[in-house]
Amino acid sequence: MSKEGRRSFLQIATACIGGLVSLAAGIPLIGFAISPAWKKGESQWVDIGTVDRLKNSRFKKVNYTFTAKDGWVKATKKRSVYVTDVGNGEWSVFSRTCSHLGCLVRWDESKESFLCPCHGAVFDKDGVVVAGPPPRPLQKLEVKVENGLLYVKES
Amino acid sequence: MKQFLNDRLPLDGVMTHLRKPLPKHINLLFSLGSLAMFLLLLQAATGAFLALSYSPSPDHAHNAVKYISEEVPFGNFVRGLHHWGASAMVIIVFLHILRVVLYGSYKAPRELTWVVGVLLLLVTLGFGFTGYLLPWDEKAYWATVVGIEISSTAPVLGDVVAKVMRGGAEVGAVTLSRFYALHTIWLPWLAFGLVGLHLFLVRFYGSSGTLKNTPEDMKTGKPFYPDQVFEDVVGMLILFVVLACAALFAPVPLEDVADPTNADYDPRPEWYFLFLFQLLKYFQGPFEILGTFVIPTVGMLLLLFLPFLDRSERKVLWKRPIAMTVTSFCVIAIVGLTILGATAPKLETQEDAAQPADEVQQVTPPDTETTDIDEREDVFDFQLTEEEIEKAREVGEESQ
Repeated sequence: MSKEGRRSFLQIATACIGGLVSLAAGIPLIGFAISPAWKKGESQWVDIGTVDRLKNSRFKKVNYTFTAKDGWVKATKKRSVYVTDVGNGEWSVFSRTCSHLGCLVRWDESKESFLCPCHGAVFDKDGVVVAGPPPRPLQKLEVKVENGLLYVKES
Repeated sequence: MKQFLNDRLPLDGVMTHLRKPLPKHINLLFSLGSLAMFLLLLQAATGAFLALSYSPSPDHAHNAVKYISEEVPFGNFVRGLHHWGASAMVIIVFLHILRVVLYGSYKAPRELTWVVGVLLLLVTLGFGFTGYLLPWDEKAYWATVVGIEISSTAPVLGDVVAKVMRGGAEVGAVTLSRFYALHTIWLPWLAFGLVGLHLFLVRFYGSSGTLKNTPEDMKTGKPFYPDQVFEDVVGMLILFVVLACAALFAPVPLEDVADPTNADYDPRPEWYFLFLFQLLKYFQGPFEILGTFVIPTVGMLLLLFLPFLDRSERKVLWKRPIAMTVTSFCVIAIVGLTILGATAPKLETQEDAAQPADEVQQVTPPDTETTDIDEREDVFDFQLTEEEIEKAREVGEESQ
């Protein structure tokens, strides 16, 4: 093999070894960093109060806590919802999280609307977008009643 | 000693290089790059010391920052320097980029110097975004929630990017840990690497000079060292005095600890992201993506590839009408939106204040469904029940 040929071979071999080591180290490292992207979240039923206490509520603010796993800790999560007793055992529970960028909306009794303090979003009493940037209505949570307690599904 | 070092290090060569003359007519605006580097070093130094007393967990972060501010000697001053230094860095980097645009310094053969500079602007904004979550107060929490939600609106990979940034479904312990790692390890490595490359390119191609410079002027000005270095150092001294006064006399805000249920809080980002925050108000429904993704991305790509779009050799302002018009529009838009965002009235609702929120604690055990996360039994759980706390208290009293 000529000197030039030998040097070309060394150049290619060096690049191959470097690439191989980079791939062998890089794939697990990238997988480590982006692993949250493919982890599915947990969902659970959380009680938000007794039916007796919430009876006849109309857009009542309820703050509640529940335990959920956050990485390596079981953390106490806090949530806030608006609860309405629709009647006939039906309940309407709206998440207060604006469907635009996650700020918490406020119920304005005089305007019969949910207002967002961030970008001026307005939702009507059914959670439908009336004005502002949100692309979706307010999230209505799944509910159930068991043993006199009202539950919402946390996901 | 000097001879010893000279025999082992190429000091004479370095000094000869540093004493090379600059172009004539170099003015104070050419110190902005040095000031930006000074601020990066100041941020690195103050940040390294703040990290000595900081703990990146939601349980401790707010208290740690409070401890730094109220109990650690000079803690408030060091935190003040870091806080105001961050704002100063954004301003200086912005002005530095503006100077380069106005003087046409990005043109050939300095395209790569410009590209690295724009990447440094992104790193600077990254430092700002990851840094202000760390105090874990209301502003930190809500600005981060909004910031990450903005990234989730990007097409195709938006949701993935948001989850990777959060480290999970919502802003929490993993997010804080990730942002801390980005702020103190990843971004500093990136910043110093890019600064090294930027400085190499700046020294390799030399200063682009001012609009007055003729080809003969380019190597007949004052030497970089000590003349220009002295001017830069004076600028650094003035900047440091301003920051020190701000740290001493303008208290660094620390709001209440982050509360994901506090709907009375009006989320606002740091002032240097206010223009983006304000921009989002003007795009509704299906056009939301224009404000969250299209305009910022296109703007940043135009900035990044400016030297390849404006390929003329003309540098004089009035012979570059398109570049000057676009630059003026962008500066006016950014400043205008920032002012509008800062002066926007806060939301006042006639919420039923007489009806306080029900505060409910979960009484039934968690019933978890569709869990793909490894449910290990040995997960550390620092949540103590009231019974456990009471028992611990009794044991403590007995031992006394």
